[in-house]
Amino acid sequence: MQHSIKDDYINSIKNYTNQFEDTNFRRIACNDFKSWPSPREETWRLSRLGSLSRKKIKPINPNLKKNNNNTSNLVGSTIIQFIDGAYREDLSSKLPSGVNLSVLSDSESLKYLQKIKNSNLSDHPSTNVSLSCTPSIMKLTVSKDTKVKDFFEIIYEGGEDSQSVHPVLYLELEKNSSLYLIERFNHLTSLAMPLQLIELRNKASLNTIKIFNDSEKTYNLSANCVYLSKESYLNSFSLIKGGIFTRSETHAYLNGCNAKLNLNGVYISCNKQHHDLTTAIYHDVPDCTSKQIVRGVLGGKSTGVFQGKVIVAQDAQRTDGQQMSRAILLSDTASANAKPELEIYADDVICAHGATVGELDDDQLFYLNSRGVPMDKAREILIKAFLEDMINQSVDNSLHDFVFKEAELALSSIITKEK
Amino acid sequence: MSLLEIKNAHLKLDDKNILNGVSLSVNKGEVHAIMGPNGSGKSTLSYMLAGRDGYELEEGEILLDGISLSEMEADERARSGLFLAFQYPVELPGVGGMSFLREAVNSRRKFLGEEELDHLGFVKEARKEASKMYVKDEMLKRAVNVGFSGGEKKRFEILQMAMLKPKVSILDETDSGLDVDALKIVSDGVNAQRNNDNAIVVITHYQRLLDYIVPDFVHILSDGIIIKSGGPELALEVEKNGYSGLINAA
Repeated sequence: MQHSIKDDYINSIKNYTNQFEDTNFRRIACNDFKSWPSPREETWRLSRLGSLSRKKIKPINPNLKKNNNNTSNLVGSTIIQFIDGAYREDLSSKLPSGVNLSVLSDSESLKYLQKIKNSNLSDHPSTNVSLSCTPSIMKLTVSKDTKVKDFFEIIYEGGEDSQSVHPVLYLELEKNSSLYLIERFNHLTSLAMPLQLIELRNKASLNTIKIFNDSEKTYNLSANCVYLSKESYLNSFSLIKGGIFTRSETHAYLNGCNAKLNLNGVYISCNKQHHDLTTAIYHDVPDCTSKQIVRGVLGGKSTGVFQGKVIVAQDAQRTDGQQMSRAILLSDTASANAKPELEIYADDVICAHGATVGELDDDQLFYLNSRGVPMDKAREILIKAFLEDMINQSVDNSLHDFVFKEAELALSSIITKEK
Repeated sequence: MSLLEIKNAHLKLDDKNILNGVSLSVNKGEVHAIMGPNGSGKSTLSYMLAGRDGYELEEGEILLDGISLSEMEADERARSGLFLAFQYPVELPGVGGMSFLREAVNSRRKFLGEEELDHLGFVKEARKEASKMYVKDEMLKRAVNVGFSGGEKKRFEILQMAMLKPKVSILDETDSGLDVDALKIVSDGVNAQRNNDNAIVVITHYQRLLDYIVPDFVHILSDGIIIKSGGPELALEVEKNGYSGLINAA
């Protein structure tokens, strides 16, 4: 049989897995990782992993206990650090009351694996590889009726070239609890495969902001599976700006009546970056709402992808599902792909989707010019407004400046380059 | 010397002749009205003056206070003191009214060698001018022209004019989409800015606006050329006999 680098990675995962005692769930996951997704698979057609599969990569050894503390501009009152994919209690804050963080046991990990395997993330590479290689599955629980007032921040850092990193999180918000979570991905590895399972119990409310700002050589294949129970609420906003290739894939299951979901995102891409927001929203029961707004700004030779699917089951009457994606191309060599899809089996629903890809609006530029604003400044004003508008409607007022500054940092390099 | 001088302006759009030798001299302190039927080239003339891409002159020249505008981009023309009030003001989602005004005013001040206004100083000045145009604070906090009524859009245009203090203002069909009350507010705003150092060119279909902004001169534009010029009485003639009589006579 021909020996390939891909086999090398599979072998290195197997060897790596052997070091653990809690091996049951790891063995299943490891056996299920056969290869990287092929471009023939529909959801990977626009985001090809060819160059990743040719890289020599090994899972990282998190036991070296490095103290990377590179993330600045922290906004959370509680800071949790994952370094090299492992939770570091020594570098993290004390948890507020009603919040618990623990390591899942082998049997609990098996249940975690089953839940992910029951979703459409079962074949995602991050599911199988990260469940094989994670130092441990960390479970963050917000207990019943606990409303965490201050911002909660999780930082993912660490790694080096030629390594892969595998933080795995299980987030459970018990009945009537709430949390505002900010997650920052600042890996230096070749490959990051964060995996998350989120369960929102009845009337739980979760706000999340994810900022993907990994190193310029990092592939980040983030996989997220969310279950929303009755009257629960998830408001999620992702800002993708780092990495050479970042794909954030989220599968959300609305399986309690009157659950509400906002799944918004912005990507800012330059040079040869590839950014991908892929989502699937499953309306399984009546009276749920989902709303998705995605915006992209692209320069250089970058590419952006938005794939969003809304599936409305036959019983899910009175579903309200909205999807809108807009991308602005600032250079002739950038490209954006949008693939919104609706699959509707119920008859009483309001669903809408739309996607546009284009340049800045000539009428708007002329209007600004006619007021004395030079072309460069006019472009900058319009691009910032395009994103600011979106950020303002997605994140808490007190975080507008923080998120906008993060976006502005990425924008400034594109705007200067595309002058 | 004229404040605005248009000399023999020719312009083509998609190989079609739109302006066929427009000439016009506007002196300080004067208000000129350009009237004409649909398709006579009125809006083209205003875009050409403001320097919109694609509206470059084939032949002829424009001078603002003696300086040729031909080689200037739209933003340079604006900073030099030319203002165009749009027939259809453009919506700028996400761009706040106050910061938009400040950007515009400071661009002009910088050009004039004046110090840029600080935030507080600017807000004070903007509020003062806004109240004259019945533009509420709340409107300045909203995104430019987004969700504004027809009247609000035009009032916001004239507020910009008041703050930029241009040498020459071109008002492109400022009366379109306005009811009688709004027309009066907008006209009062324009009249308040008439002085001996600036000039205003009003482009309109109808005589109605000219009851409020009374011009010194009226010009009839037809087929891209001024076929007749006169005093305010010319506008009344249009109102009475329509454009066809004048065009046929010319």
